[in-house]
Amino acid sequence: MSGKMNRRSFLKVMGWSGAGVALTGCDMPTTVTLEEGKEEVMSYLMPEEYVIPGVGVWYASTCTQCAAGCGIHGRVREGRVLKLEGNPDSAVSNGKLCMMGQAGVQGHYNPDRISTPMMRSGGSLTPVSWDKALAMLEEKLGAVSGNRFAWFTGTVSGHQSALLTNHLDAMGSTNHYAHEVVNNAVSRAVNQDMLGEANPRLRLDKAKMIVSFGADFMGASQSPVQYSVQYAKFRTNKERGLLVQIESKMSLTGGSADLWLAIKPGTEAVLALGMANLLLNKIKLSDAGIPSDVRTLINSYDISKVAKITGVAGDRIQRVTQLLTERSPSLVLAGASVEGQTQGYATTAAIMMLNHILGNVGKTIESAGDFPFPQLMAKQGGTADLVAFAEAAKAKKLDTVIFHGSNPVYTAPESLGLTEAMANIGFKVAISQFPDETTMAADLVLPMSSYLEDWGTQVPADQAESSAIQVQQPLMEKLNAETKGFGDILLTLLKQRKKEEYGQFEDYYAYLRNAFVAMPTSVKNDAQSNDEFWNAALQTGVIKVDVGAKDLQSTVVSFAAPVVDDSAGLTLMPSPRLGLFDGRHANLPWLQEAPDQISKVVWDSWAEMHPDTAAKMGIENLGLVKVSSVQGSVTLRVVLLKGMHADAVAIPLGQGHEAYGRYAKGLGINPLHILDAATDDKTGELAMYSTRVTVKRVGPPDSLSIVRMGTGAGDSQVGRKLVGTVPVEQVRRTEGT
Amino acid sequence: MSLDNILNHWSDYRKGAEEGGHHEYEHRWAMAINLDLCTGCNACSTACYAENNLAVVGKEKFESGQAMHWMRIERYWDQQELEHPEQGASFLPMMCQQCGAATCEPVCPVAATYHTPDGLNAQVYNRCIGSRYCSNNCPFRVRYFNFYSYYESSWPEPMEQQLNPDITVRDKGVMEKCTFCVQRIRTVKDKAFMEDRSVKDGEVVTACAQACPTSAIVFGDTMDENSMVSKLWKKHQVERGIYQKTKYAKKDTDLRGYRIFEELNIDPSVMYLERVREDI
Amino acid sequence: MTMVTEKDINEQIAWAKINTDVLKSMENPRPAYWITLAVCLAMVACAVLAEYIQYTVGMGTAALNNPHMWDMYIAAFVFWIGMSHSGTLLSAILHLIHADWRKPIYRFAEAMTTFSLLTAGIFPMIHLGRVWNLYWVLPYVSDRGIWPNFRSPLVWDAFAITTYLTASMLFLFVGMIPDLAICRDNTTGWRKKLYGILALGWVGSDRQWRHFRKIYLLMACFLIPLAVSVHSIVSADFAMSIMPGWHITSFPPYFVAGALYSGCAAIITLFILLRYFFRFEDYMTLPIMEKTAKLTFAIAMVWTYLNLIEFASVWYGHDVYNKELLIAKATGAYAWIFWTMLFCGSVLPFALAFRKLRRHMPTMFVVSLFLNLGMFFERWMIVAPTLSMSHEPHQWDIMYGSIVEWAIVFGSFGWFGMLFLIFVKVFPSVSMYEVKEMVFHRKRSAGEEDLARMTDHAKPATQTTGGGGGA
Repeated sequence: MSGKMNRRSFLKVMGWSGAGVALTGCDMPTTVTLEEGKEEVMSYLMPEEYVIPGVGVWYASTCTQCAAGCGIHGRVREGRVLKLEGNPDSAVSNGKLCMMGQAGVQGHYNPDRISTPMMRSGGSLTPVSWDKALAMLEEKLGAVSGNRFAWFTGTVSGHQSALLTNHLDAMGSTNHYAHEVVNNAVSRAVNQDMLGEANPRLRLDKAKMIVSFGADFMGASQSPVQYSVQYAKFRTNKERGLLVQIESKMSLTGGSADLWLAIKPGTEAVLALGMANLLLNKIKLSDAGIPSDVRTLINSYDISKVAKITGVAGDRIQRVTQLLTERSPSLVLAGASVEGQTQGYATTAAIMMLNHILGNVGKTIESAGDFPFPQLMAKQGGTADLVAFAEAAKAKKLDTVIFHGSNPVYTAPESLGLTEAMANIGFKVAISQFPDETTMAADLVLPMSSYLEDWGTQVPADQAESSAIQVQQPLMEKLNAETKGFGDILLTLLKQRKKEEYGQFEDYYAYLRNAFVAMPTSVKNDAQSNDEFWNAALQTGVIKVDVGAKDLQSTVVSFAAPVVDDSAGLTLMPSPRLGLFDGRHANLPWLQEAPDQISKVVWDSWAEMHPDTAAKMGIENLGLVKVSSVQGSVTLRVVLLKGMHADAVAIPLGQGHEAYGRYAKGLGINPLHILDAATDDKTGELAMYSTRVTVKRVGPPDSLSIVRMGTGAGDSQVGRKLVGTVPVEQVRRTEGT
Repeated sequence: MSLDNILNHWSDYRKGAEEGGHHEYEHRWAMAINLDLCTGCNACSTACYAENNLAVVGKEKFESGQAMHWMRIERYWDQQELEHPEQGASFLPMMCQQCGAATCEPVCPVAATYHTPDGLNAQVYNRCIGSRYCSNNCPFRVRYFNFYSYYESSWPEPMEQQLNPDITVRDKGVMEKCTFCVQRIRTVKDKAFMEDRSVKDGEVVTACAQACPTSAIVFGDTMDENSMVSKLWKKHQVERGIYQKTKYAKKDTDLRGYRIFEELNIDPSVMYLERVREDI
Repeated sequence: MTMVTEKDINEQIAWAKINTDVLKSMENPRPAYWITLAVCLAMVACAVLAEYIQYTVGMGTAALNNPHMWDMYIAAFVFWIGMSHSGTLLSAILHLIHADWRKPIYRFAEAMTTFSLLTAGIFPMIHLGRVWNLYWVLPYVSDRGIWPNFRSPLVWDAFAITTYLTASMLFLFVGMIPDLAICRDNTTGWRKKLYGILALGWVGSDRQWRHFRKIYLLMACFLIPLAVSVHSIVSADFAMSIMPGWHITSFPPYFVAGALYSGCAAIITLFILLRYFFRFEDYMTLPIMEKTAKLTFAIAMVWTYLNLIEFASVWYGHDVYNKELLIAKATGAYAWIFWTMLFCGSVLPFALAFRKLRRHMPTMFVVSLFLNLGMFFERWMIVAPTLSMSHEPHQWDIMYGSIVEWAIVFGSFGWFGMLFLIFVKVFPSVSMYEVKEMVFHRKRSAGEEDLARMTDHAKPATQTTGGGGGA
């Protein structure tokens, strides 16, 4: 059931262009003349000729709600962007858009946006003019050099990333801390070591079977929309794909599994080794490329031992392993809950090893080729940089830090001592849209334009089928005259240091136009002129890039033997979710109001436990519990769900903001604060899923902002056919899949 | 609603209801939702909020059950006897089924809800006096009532700029529900009319269908035989009209297509395809 | 064996005494009256405040949500409409079958009917989301060329209730005319003026009496099918839907039976109150109380039977939705209401089967209140469980009403009480002329008997009746 709807022919997708150039010939809709680069609010007394009141105009841009970088189309009416859709020309979004992308307009029109620069005086932030702010910046940045200066950002890519790197160079610093809570840093390290590439292309659509170790690829992942599109193909292929999800807490992806297996948290490496054992010793697949120490390790994990340690039934393990060989090519994925352990690297390597043994490399894991613009490629965030940052700051090694696109005050575990660290930094600048915790701790706040009113380019790290540079253009004039785009701020900073090089660019728009002109002809796709190329880029929203074909190497590295922690207590799983994500979208009311997909809670925090575990502790559904780690405790209500392993307690992320506006402040709790500061042995990434906690009942059940679903129905269909399920054999016969 | 109309067309109506509609329909909008592809991700629901000016009601009111999600994702757990839900969760996107023999239509005292020539169940906001009988009579419970004047608090400045001008913002006291994005249908129909052609398949796409990352929702016109939705309905042998179970029983009962509460004979315009699970 | 059957009323009461007794009840009230009236007004004030809040803030202040779109207001509405059947039953139905024992008590019962309807009429208004557009339900020639939806039971409700209210009011008024004439002739001041207008020039002539009797009979005949249809139509609000627990064919008779039941229980309550406060022991006698109680008992058994039919049909009907709903009613969150309803409605009326209890006023007072509580719960059980457990399990929910709702329902009792209290002080709450008929009638026949016994003669020739005889 495929067949993309070709909406393109029904839309008039407009692009911004230079003065007076119309496209000649071909099928493309007419482009128009617009004044370029104007920063002021334009009066609509004299609207452009294409603006017909009552008729929407569509522009292409790129979403920045997460690191995926989905191409979007924005519907603009009378100069206001109203609705975002996916851009069918974008290979990342394929014309689709997830809930976070849809809610982008709410971030743009958010009533709590920062509207003026602010400076700290006498303990609080007071509004100042841009002149004053820039003067202060010039003074402070002039006084610091080398590694005493740092940028602290989220994932950045595209020309903004290039400029940022240039600024660091200009400052003589190499300190770019890139921090993301939802990251695949450990996987990237494993991929780099085993495949030779950090971000290979994952082809779920080519797989016949996927075994996912907690990889929530359709939920809080690096590219939820892209992988969901692939998933649809995976399911509707001639031979319907089989999804097995093995995790300790049911994720969104796990909800769609043919088989969902609960595994004891922290034992995924054991399971992977057990499966490798079956593959090599029982099914007799080749062990070429596997180091001898790893081979010995594999041999020590027989099925009964594995079943005992992991809690996954032996026959199930055997069946899944057997099917992996029958349903080839397959794909084995490792997710955040696997990466985020003290042995994250080792476990992820063990799982990637399964791909190697099964021969999936080259079939469902492909090379991403050579991206010809390395300076534009994504600098991806992780948590190792957060740890390093905290340590550097605590050791008083940083004088000036500019924060952008990241909220470490909110996301950092208290055990990292970030409060002390921040206090040690003499001058903190925040380039930010919203008054989040980090922004409110800064000394200078620069109000940033939203992505819907700003120029830029994005190069998503996860581009599964083809590679492109995503273009970001303003969908409307700035809501507030005093905000500036990130690129513009970077340019201003660079002009302060390197006036001769950057002074020629009036603003970021000009810089980008120049950068596009400078692009090689291979990328310009037979455009007759630079203007034509620019218009085409803006119209389609993507610049396709040929990365060539390459083969991935497939090796297995040595990795440490798994150490299973048998100590008492439950393992805390601080789970990001599609929606509030890592907490960054808590200020968007649509996303707060959208029920969590698995538990259906809204506007609040909750803990998830298995009913059997709860019963042993005398905890009832919706009861009040205290979850305590060595670092601290949180009190919240519990939702009992069977999609949990008995030894796990999950607290989904997103709430517990102490600032961040009216929709986020004061709601729920933030479990990130009580995490241990444990890190992965090899990569230094925070082991967010290795914290042990105890759970204690402190109060009786009471109301929770949970969808009052089926009061009395117990979440069941009570025998009514609402969602029917059929076995696949039936579908094979009737639909030939 | 005149007496003339009732008397002259009564037999048409009754006969038509049995055979799939009493009007000379120019379109009959329908949906096919593949529950095997639905991952429960909420993209459709959020897109609906954006497109249709739905009010965010906030924590307390949501808890009271006064939410306004025209498209809601229901999540059921099957296999509750097992220790873990081994076949995942069952997600059901539920919205107004635009029933052909809608139970909500006859009971509105002021005829604020009626059947359009497009096969949609229309809700006329300015005629509604808020008796809420329609919502009570809906077996799917997909009608939502404006219990408060949400516009007073749901869109603090400048959020009101996001509102879609093609659709009103409802005040308290009126009932609302999914309209199959009727504003989009109207726009496309007007455009096609002005260009002197018929509406093409895929030209109208509802907000939910457009957003869905797995393309689980297919929207189209069942009067157009070549539309994707028509082909799906035909393939799964689900036919419009009531009394399907007795008169037009499916020849192949193994086919995945079904409509919810088929036995109530209300002729919903939404067909669901059962989710598939491989038992391993 | 000649049984000395207890007379309904002491036949030796002089007509003048009847006048005096009843007129005395309309004299300036004692403090107890003013206090009760003040309490009723306070209750009404509560309701008005609650409605003001609801009107300005929105229907969300009532405990309504999806799926509970109707709650206490509709339950109260059906309850009050039900209570209105008291008057019709006593006035009209018993009049047609010559049950003379109704004569001292039907006046206040009819008043109760009218005021119940006036109270019930509040609820369709306040439960609307946009009250100010209520008139759209009526078929008037609008410039938009649009009529109400005649297929909707709510429109039928509008017609039925307005018709019934009009007819009841007229019936009450017309039936009061001879009494109003008596009042006119025996009062002074503003009362005399008021009764003078209302009595419509009644002089008690033969011609007037004949016309009066015809009209009264016609209206009684008209009112009976109206009463049955009104509550059947109100039941259609539920029966015409497809909801489990509502879509039941036996709803019209079930509702009518429940209405009559409710009305009779209310009659007993007010009977006892009026008897006590106005010292109407001579008129609202124990035998009449007994008969009323027996009638109530009979209706209670009819209601019980109809309940059993409903349960039985659910049991053999194999409709999954209905069956699960019935089990939930008996065992789920609303179970306490369900069982209280059954106890008060089916078990408690057996108290009415014992002569001793029937004649014990305090017991009857308490029993009648509980019978009405049972009936109120019955209405609640009709509205709430179906909505809480309909077809879609995702939308199952339990609601118990909010403070605004309960305030308005509570206030409606105050409103009814206020109207009734005003009535008993302005209009005669016992029908004087009909009681005179009872007394005169029997007096005459008793006198005849004595004469026959004494003289052993044939029956005397028929005498002409003089002013106030019966036909």
